[in-house]
Amino acid sequence: MHVFRSLLFLATTAMLIQGCAFSRGTLGDDIKTEAIDSIKKGVTTKTEVLTLLGAPDRVLPLNGRDVYQYYRYDGKVGSLLLIVVNFSRVSIKGDDLYVMLNQNGIVEDVISSKRTENLEFRFWPFGE
Amino acid sequence: MLRSHVRLAAPLLVVLLAALCSACNVVRFTLNNPLSPEDVAFIVPGQTTLPDVIERLGSPDSINNSNTGIVSVYRFLDMKYARVNFGWLARPWSPVDPDLIFSRTGFGTDAFQVFYDSNGVVIQHSFLRHVTDRPFHPYPF
Repeated sequence: MHVFRSLLFLATTAMLIQGCAFSRGTLGDDIKTEAIDSIKKGVTTKTEVLTLLGAPDRVLPLNGRDVYQYYRYDGKVGSLLLIVVNFSRVSIKGDDLYVMLNQNGIVEDVISSKRTENLEFRFWPFGE
Repeated sequence: MLRSHVRLAAPLLVVLLAALCSACNVVRFTLNNPLSPEDVAFIVPGQTTLPDVIERLGSPDSINNSNTGIVSVYRFLDMKYARVNFGWLARPWSPVDPDLIFSRTGFGTDAFQVFYDSNGVVIQHSFLRHVTDRPFHPYPF
């Protein structure tokens, strides 16, 4: 009887679950932590920044200073396809790096954070 | 005996009803971490600095100039979409596949702006829109 129940449960589950889907999309290259760590405030020059990270995605003028912005986006999609209902969840997070340069072209400040590190595939749309 | 039959038939009935029942879709789309007033309660104008904000909230999505200093903007989105196709109910008896779809999307788009003075101290902060937490709701009327 126990085996029969297990088989019935498996059969029911198999009939209810049509399939799963996982997709991923990224925009931009990964901003390497080593490259960010090697930028020293008051020492690293604009040329060195460009050598380390390449051309910025955006250049912002900020109170007479140039700010180089680098960004990257990572998106993960998980879907659970049932007969009655389909659950999907799309999660996108971005990494941003700002390098502030003074008027002499020397790095004044670096602002960065990696939000994509904790990005997971999720299909349950409720809750957090 | 009857009880055991009911127990065994119940899951199959659920599957049968499921196959006959409407198709529903529940989709959620999140961009970055949605911020709530509680998340930003630590910011005190005149005291909190740019490094403090970055330490707690991470780097902003954009930094802009203002007359007093800089403005950092954190953008986020929490979109909820629900869809029900009642046409599925008529499919067993209809020669065509009819659709009667109710759907609704709630775009929980918002941004959190922080204004700093020339020394990098917070002057003021505010949410662009005051988005409330919308439920999944397919009824469009």
